[in-house]
Amino acid sequence: MSVQYKTIKELKNMLNEKEISYTELIQETFLNIKNNSELNAFITLNEEESLKKANNLDNSPGSGSLNGIPIAQKDLFCTKDLKTTCGSNMLSNFVPPYSATVIENLENAGCISVGKTNMDEFAMGSSNETSFYGNVQNPWGENLVPGGSSGGSAAAIAAGIVPAASGTDTGGSIRQPASLCGISGLKPTYGRISRWGMIAFASSLDQAGPMARTAEDCALLLNEMCSHDEKDTTSIDEAVPDFTENLNSSIKGLKIGLVKEFDLSKLDNNVVKVFEESKKHYESLGAEFIEISLPNISLSVPTYYVVAPAECSSNLSRFDGVKFGKRCDNPKDLEELYIKTRSEGFGDEVKRRILIGSYVLSAGFYDAYYKKAQQVRRLIKNDFDSAFKNVDIIMSPTTRGAAFEVGSKGDDPIQMYLEDLFTIPANLAGLPAMSIPNGMVDSKPIGLQLIGNFLDESRLLQAAHNFQISTDWHLKTPTGNKS
Amino acid sequence: MDKKTVSTIAYLSRLSLNEKNEDKITKDLENIIKFVDQLNEADTKNIEPLASPLEKTAKTRIDNVTAKNRKEVFLERSPKSNEDYFLVPRVVE
Repeated sequence: MSVQYKTIKELKNMLNEKEISYTELIQETFLNIKNNSELNAFITLNEEESLKKANNLDNSPGSGSLNGIPIAQKDLFCTKDLKTTCGSNMLSNFVPPYSATVIENLENAGCISVGKTNMDEFAMGSSNETSFYGNVQNPWGENLVPGGSSGGSAAAIAAGIVPAASGTDTGGSIRQPASLCGISGLKPTYGRISRWGMIAFASSLDQAGPMARTAEDCALLLNEMCSHDEKDTTSIDEAVPDFTENLNSSIKGLKIGLVKEFDLSKLDNNVVKVFEESKKHYESLGAEFIEISLPNISLSVPTYYVVAPAECSSNLSRFDGVKFGKRCDNPKDLEELYIKTRSEGFGDEVKRRILIGSYVLSAGFYDAYYKKAQQVRRLIKNDFDSAFKNVDIIMSPTTRGAAFEVGSKGDDPIQMYLEDLFTIPANLAGLPAMSIPNGMVDSKPIGLQLIGNFLDESRLLQAAHNFQISTDWHLKTPTGNKS
Repeated sequence: MDKKTVSTIAYLSRLSLNEKNEDKITKDLENIIKFVDQLNEADTKNIEPLASPLEKTAKTRIDNVTAKNRKEVFLERSPKSNEDYFLVPRVVE
């Protein structure tokens, strides 16, 4: 029985009804992984351990809510005794002695981590082109990027290999690839999911989240991913609701904000058309639209490109070739050990961001750049705080267009940075945001972004689920409509 | 942004740039800094900087030992170590 393109919910039913055994499901998953190896979605596979876990479940099924569900883990999460590279040569030999809290949470719920997915190096990129392990192919077209940085996770779901994957989102790294690959992905409120065991890029922006075929599946995953964690001092100590509870409640009267400053006239006509159709659809479901103003939103990308590199240059100073990871050959002294190791271990984009970070943090420039960016960050957050007094969620396209071709952004880094124009503001303000498929442009999928108020993931998921039970964009696959 | 500044920040970052890359990186950094200069448009007088979206963090916990000493586990992941230390080239002659 084919399990390709099945959702978590469907697989749970199949397992419960004994239409398929846990072992068969995992065997089938690895078959699909191997049949799609040209996607380059995985860096490391975990076959033996996965089959062992499946076999244990066949012998004695536990009570986990996600028992036996295959999941692909972004290679940014530490996984005990399983190589974790973060897409970098620097960590090409790194085997963590512990697992990230979010990995433990998912595995305690019964998920089987089948492998580690390819990604932009240290999550710095929007196309997967910066991975040391080669590009990931978007299942929707041979020469198309899957987006990034969680490109391997998005591609694996879009190809129907796994129903679920973990991702991380610092400036759009869950939502942008979700949009470009035609799947659903959620970046929760900053602090909702523990960052312990996540390899840090920009600590005040990084957040893990679920990627899946549907919003309902994202809710099932989110239920298990969230927990208060004493090991992460930014972990929120708030009750975790059952995110599936309100999925089917009507959204009649839902107030949706449209950002006046997002100038859609600069986008491709077809992208605007898709967005307008989704607006109409939400209206037909009883939602009402209100124009809101976020006066400082246009400064989001410049703010991000000061804050994120600053935090990155500080976080990545730990990669020095001494305690773990790669070390250069025959350094003549300690300083050469550091310099050679880092110069050989990091790729160009990572080096570029470390350099920007060191520059904006250096004496004489700190106030002009870093402090200034943090002040603008507060203005942006204040803008959102005011807007959410009048609306329940905010809606925009997730990306400026559909998947683009490998190499097409040229060698001007700013063109790639603008890819995250619509997604970065939610990271700066720490707000939950998700992307769901809402149309096709030139036979390629594209996503709709919903931004929620602080800790209001339930409402995002409800709005997304209401959309999905009345449309079929999330059912489209690269090989045709899902039966 | 000139080559001298770039070589200073490269040294601060403990990175070496080869000559071929130096021009390209200098140009890229110059463009990126020009791009983020847009921040000057914002009036931020009397605005408190925001370092994290959660302003109440860094809670302290009770000062108990919670982890076991796993010295061997960590030392064996080092590129070079003996049974007690991480090893690096000699620092003091």
